[in-house]
Amino acid sequence: MSLLVDTSLSLVLFSVLIALGAGRLPGLIRVVAFQGVVVSMVPLLIGHNLSVGGVAFTVATLVIRGLVIPLAIYVAIRRKAIRQEVEPIVGPHASLLLGLVLIVAATWVGRSFHLPTADHSKLLLPTAISLLVAGMFLLMARRNAIAMVLGYVMLENGIYVVGTTFSARTHHIVEFGILLDVLAGVMIMAILLQHIKLAAGDVDTSLLRSLKD
Amino acid sequence: MHLELVFLIPLVTGILAFSGPKSFGRPLLVITGVAHLGASVYVWVQRPEAFFSSYFAISPEGLLSLVVISLLFMLISIYATGYLEEHPLASERVFCGSMLLFLSTMTMVTISDHIMVMWIAIEATTLASAPLIYSHRSKKSLEATWKYVLICSVGIALALLGSVLITIAMDVGKVDAPVSFSALTARATDLDAPWLKAAFVFIVVGYGTKMGLAPMHTWLPDAHSEAPAPASALLSGVLLNCAYLGLFKTHALMQAAGLGDFSGMVLMVLGLVSILVAATFIMRQQEYKRLLAYSSVENMGIIALGTGIGGLGAYGAMLCLIHHSLIKSSLFLSSGNILLGYGSRLISKTGNLAGKMPRTCLAFLAGFVGIAGFPPFGLFLGELFIIVAAFRTGHPVFGGILVLSLCVIFAGFANHVIRLAYGPAAQDQDQGRGQDPESSGSTPTPNPTLFQEKATMFWPQYVLLSTSVLLCFWMPETLYKTIAAAVGYTGGGF
Repeated sequence: MSLLVDTSLSLVLFSVLIALGAGRLPGLIRVVAFQGVVVSMVPLLIGHNLSVGGVAFTVATLVIRGLVIPLAIYVAIRRKAIRQEVEPIVGPHASLLLGLVLIVAATWVGRSFHLPTADHSKLLLPTAISLLVAGMFLLMARRNAIAMVLGYVMLENGIYVVGTTFSARTHHIVEFGILLDVLAGVMIMAILLQHIKLAAGDVDTSLLRSLKD
Repeated sequence: MHLELVFLIPLVTGILAFSGPKSFGRPLLVITGVAHLGASVYVWVQRPEAFFSSYFAISPEGLLSLVVISLLFMLISIYATGYLEEHPLASERVFCGSMLLFLSTMTMVTISDHIMVMWIAIEATTLASAPLIYSHRSKKSLEATWKYVLICSVGIALALLGSVLITIAMDVGKVDAPVSFSALTARATDLDAPWLKAAFVFIVVGYGTKMGLAPMHTWLPDAHSEAPAPASALLSGVLLNCAYLGLFKTHALMQAAGLGDFSGMVLMVLGLVSILVAATFIMRQQEYKRLLAYSSVENMGIIALGTGIGGLGAYGAMLCLIHHSLIKSSLFLSSGNILLGYGSRLISKTGNLAGKMPRTCLAFLAGFVGIAGFPPFGLFLGELFIIVAAFRTGHPVFGGILVLSLCVIFAGFANHVIRLAYGPAAQDQDQGRGQDPESSGSTPTPNPTLFQEKATMFWPQYVLLSTSVLLCFWMPETLYKTIAAAVGYTGGGF
């Protein structure tokens, strides 16, 4: 099992690099969807969720994280004919390099913690840290509002990976509540995106600078 | 009756308001407000059991917040009926529905005991209140809503990470207990200290963002100034308290785990930074709603500082929490009248409020006296206790900075308020307003000469302010006991 977990997590680590280097939105959405799928299967692969309810919950998570959220964002782009570039503040090459440094640092940091789940997988914590920091990075270093929302989703995926350590602890209904909150949040952001596009003609957040002191 | 009913009432009426006809909204707001207050008083007196007792439970600090939320919502709903009549919104159905769902989620925060349920409820308050900020459908309100949703969601995501780290602290410490504040506080010493510290840092950043502590406060002035007055009053009066509740409970957990010095110091420093930032921005503020918003940042800073000091300071912080809600919501409601009367958010476009709207002016000035921390309003006692506690516990520098900042803030605030109330009225706002870029779009465009002060639009403020005065002189025994029980965790009380 541990081999399967580590293999899929290493794919997620690789996808972090692709996300940071991505120049266009559809590619970025696909990467985030892929991360959502893998991340929601991790508890099952570790062997946490082998009950009927557990499997049902994993499927629900997979559908929401891997399908519904990316689709909602994708539809928002298509319907409003939003420009497809991510409009980086930090360019793709510099982002890629930072991503490499991040993964190395995350692996190094992850080794110094002794998590109770360490026997399941060595890559769990490095992946979580990479997703968290890369999500934050997208939020800060992209002007396109959609890229920022995708950064937020990535951050949430990272937290979910950390959360797999506690999935044996809390009830599925609580985790489902968290998932619904994230979903509703992304939906509201998608609606706001459409309004921003209508009002400003673009989703470049540098256009949203009228309120200040 | 189960405890959960208290948040199910507004949930049901909220869905009704969304799906029912438009005329449903206003009466539904008031009816729910009254019913909710009744339910809250029942909860206070009877202390019913929760149906899902692993997720929900009554706590003294939660009870205090619940009753404050309930009272405020009832009064604000009365104001809202007058406000909506005076200034109809394009989407009244969404506004009323969101107000009710917002009430429901905030109520859920106050009775949450499970750490993750608390997080779910706090994030849900963000989502329910987002449509309220976007009520005016202008570009500015869109920007404010976008900032609010994104910054708060990301901030609160970090609080989720912090909550997850608490469960890791349980795993590492081999604590086998429910993931609830009450169960964990009882066994806090077994939790793994380094993980708990890390968890606290993330939770402070997360809930601190929502509470409006500097430097994570950047969304707050925008959101509070762009929302319509009843929504701003709720946002500033009680939403900040909900986030504080999450912080307070985590601090109590840290205290029980013997890490209170660490978490207290973090709270004190963040509180002090907030007070200083607010002082800087209040001095050179040009819009009165933003002025009030920064004053909220200041008060949240004072509350965090008091909580961090502990003991008498924590008791003072609880008083500040209650009285800030009462006074600040009254101020935001009055600001709604001012906005309707002058059609501009700029202080320079107002003037002679005392002559134009004497009743609103009285409420606004009284609110100003209260928020500046003068007797007979209750905030005075709270701030006094915190200052005394700061010197008594050996933090004279913090106490000194607090006193100085309060003076600066008072001076800045007074300058603006006197301009607003007695300054020369900006000549004929009717004509100038059309071309003014600052006030166009998002602001309502009433005819100033037509704006009459209606009873529903100043009595709620009077009731709020007199409650604050009353509580300063006469505090019911049960209220005192509840506050003492709440701060008992942090070694508070006299």
